Amino acid sequence: MYPAELEKYLMHVQKPGRYTGGELNSVIKPHDSVDIRYAFCFPDTYEIGMSHLGMKILYSLVNERDDALCERVFAPDVDMEAIMREHNIPLYALESGKPIGDFDIIGFTMQYELSYTNVLNMLDLAGLPVKSADREALTPIVIAGGTCVCNPEPMADFFDITLPGDGEEVTNELIDLLKEYKKKGAAKKEFLAAAAQIPGVYVPSLYEVSYNGDGTVKEVTPTCSAPAKVIKRNVADLDKMFAPTSFVVPFLESVFDRTTVEIFRGCIRGCRFCQAGFLNRPLREKSPEAVEAQCRAICDSSGYDEISLCSLSTSDYKGLEKLLTNMLPWADENKINIALPSLRADNFPKELMERLNSVRRSGLTFAPEAGTQRMRDVINKNITEEEILSTAAQAFSGGWTAVKLYFMIGLPTETEEDLKGIADLAQAVVDKYYSCENKPKGKSVSVNISLASLVPKPFTPFQWEPQDKPDVLIEKQNYLISCVKTRKVNVSRHVPWTSFLEGVFARGDRRLGRVIETAWKKGCHFDSWEEHLDREKWTQSFKECGIDPYFYTARVRDLDEVLPWDHMDYGVTKKFLQKEYIKAHKGETTPCCREKCSNCGAARLNGGVCNELGKTVV
Amino acid sequence: MNSVRLWYKKSGLVIYTSHLDMNRCFTRAVRRADIPLWYTEGFNPHPYMTFLLPLPLGQTGLREPLDIRVEEDISPGEIKNRLNSVLPSGLEIVDAAEAVNKANSIVSARYKTDLLFESEGEAEGFSAGINDIMSSGVLNAEKRSKRGTKKVNLCDYVDSFSAVCEGKTVKTDAVLATGTQNNLNAGLLFETLCSEFAAEPEKTSIVRTDIYMENMIPFC
Repeated sequence: MYPAELEKYLMHVQKPGRYTGGELNSVIKPHDSVDIRYAFCFPDTYEIGMSHLGMKILYSLVNERDDALCERVFAPDVDMEAIMREHNIPLYALESGKPIGDFDIIGFTMQYELSYTNVLNMLDLAGLPVKSADREALTPIVIAGGTCVCNPEPMADFFDITLPGDGEEVTNELIDLLKEYKKKGAAKKEFLAAAAQIPGVYVPSLYEVSYNGDGTVKEVTPTCSAPAKVIKRNVADLDKMFAPTSFVVPFLESVFDRTTVEIFRGCIRGCRFCQAGFLNRPLREKSPEAVEAQCRAICDSSGYDEISLCSLSTSDYKGLEKLLTNMLPWADENKINIALPSLRADNFPKELMERLNSVRRSGLTFAPEAGTQRMRDVINKNITEEEILSTAAQAFSGGWTAVKLYFMIGLPTETEEDLKGIADLAQAVVDKYYSCENKPKGKSVSVNISLASLVPKPFTPFQWEPQDKPDVLIEKQNYLISCVKTRKVNVSRHVPWTSFLEGVFARGDRRLGRVIETAWKKGCHFDSWEEHLDREKWTQSFKECGIDPYFYTARVRDLDEVLPWDHMDYGVTKKFLQKEYIKAHKGETTPCCREKCSNCGAARLNGGVCNELGKTVV
Repeated sequence: MNSVRLWYKKSGLVIYTSHLDMNRCFTRAVRRADIPLWYTEGFNPHPYMTFLLPLPLGQTGLREPLDIRVEEDISPGEIKNRLNSVLPSGLEIVDAAEAVNKANSIVSARYKTDLLFESEGEAEGFSAGINDIMSSGVLNAEKRSKRGTKKVNLCDYVDSFSAVCEGKTVKTDAVLATGTQNNLNAGLLFETLCSEFAAEPEKTSIVRTDIYMENMIPFC
């Protein structure tokens, strides 16, 4: 539902269906029938947010409760925002059309640093002060979860609470507590102090940060008996964890117009650039039986004809063969396509892929990440050129003629040799196609290289690494492109300035809050959209706040430096990351969790692959 | 393989769903309803489903035709019941039957449009004005099509038109050229009329009520 005042303007905006609600399976509860009303906000447009699995899980989880409701909120596109501002229509939730300022909890899921300004903009559209300190009432409490809150500091001024780790359990605990404090008529301060006692709850305002003369963090001191370290929440047994059996089905086509079922969390691999891999340790699998039951239930209730089995590295799923063997007859019969994203080139399940093709064929994408073996060893991407080429050969004899390869540039210790290696590897894949006997007859091959640039992230061994400046990255891109000698290889590249800004906020501290607010006031939002990212305004904002952005990206950090996010604990220890950093610079690899435990520290979080190993070793 | 013509009503929030998205929506509904749809036999099999007369964004349709093909013997009544139990609110199958007429025999449709104004005076003025202009037989507008924009006289596409004023609401009843040969989007007609009189209605609701063949014989 939308506010009645909007009726007049709906036909004046692009895709009005984004603002109306009323989709299949949306849950509508009367507001006076519950104690806690939760507005789940995705700080980007409807089409992007509606593809997000985390939102689907938490939406169902909260709506399962009799005493709470959850509604969805997305960032209005620029045309709609202009109308809302002109006519004083506050940001509303899609189910009821009620302003989100009247809800008890406003929760953001933070997947990307470049959506920070959207958070401020959405709070402002809701008629709320953007800063936590300026929102005096107990409700709405503004909370955030998701990948980015592993370093909550740049947004510390704005969020009342952040929730590192898995959100399922802690969301319920927080709702229970707020219900109690709301009934008591407690003050916001009292509630926040109590919330900080829940494991996995971080209240930024309860921590004081002091700085050294060189601008680095000196110390982070908790107050009001908040814990010195906030340990992320970890759902140990995914089979027992709540999983939704029905999703809101958008009328509009979303980015991923299909259903998604998670098969495991975490990753055994330990690629040194990959934040998700370290943040979500230990790896925890769902049983094939649970996955299949969820797939069937969701397809039944949604009518989708495509399922994406989601994880960080699908071919590492131990139950993959069993799951597909059980599920394929059902999928074939119901003309359901099963998509397996995130496959590795070294354990590519050939026979399974052939069977998957019986329904529909999707593209083939691999991520060698680096062009030379030396570079792949540095980043601990433990695959070899032979493995990549033999997988490509398999694909070509299976009828594929297009392959997409993901690479990263700006990696530590990178030389021209490594960049040229990317072009050489692509060329080797082209050559492999022509030497392949079973290749499709009379067709040409196309190899698409997608070039990303490394953004060193917290909780990875590269968290101390300097990030290449945009001009250096452009030079590297140009050099690489000059090494490509065939038109069968296409190179698509990212805008380095986006990575630069992402890098600033990824490893930033509290002092960046002012920059974010300044840039937002100047009109910055949707920074992840190339057409909206305004470099001039950002540059000006850094200047006005007296902050050098390169302090956060280009500086070489000392291994013992106090990092702004050191008071977050994701299981993996700083000591382990330091060891990995040193090994990276020596070009030494680390085996995956299933081969050998490397004592990363995540085992104390309990569950998953750590227990699996414990059993086999003993 | 059997062909069935479904007649559906589209109203409420769903009217903001575009034609392409409606297609997806019905495809999923048919799957949820477990209706044995006939799939095309090409490289990329997809269910056979044809909207005979896509309804423009933002308009209500009381009886819109949709042809599907099913594999097994399943009665139209059963299809209707099953679909109605799974369709999102705002969409309803009002009838299901064997197709009688061919899609290309559609030539016009009736649109009932209500325009709500802030004051009765505004409504009265608008009502009188549009009756005049429509009876004059000339209302020029830019009409967009796949072949580009061209200037046309919208009245050439209007079979009948009447407007009455009831309080703050102007109620109109129009039969407009509709279909593959000649087509006038009712939205364009009212946009043009509003801009002609610089009118800004609080709310415009366009409802397609009936679909006709030559001589206003109902299409079925």
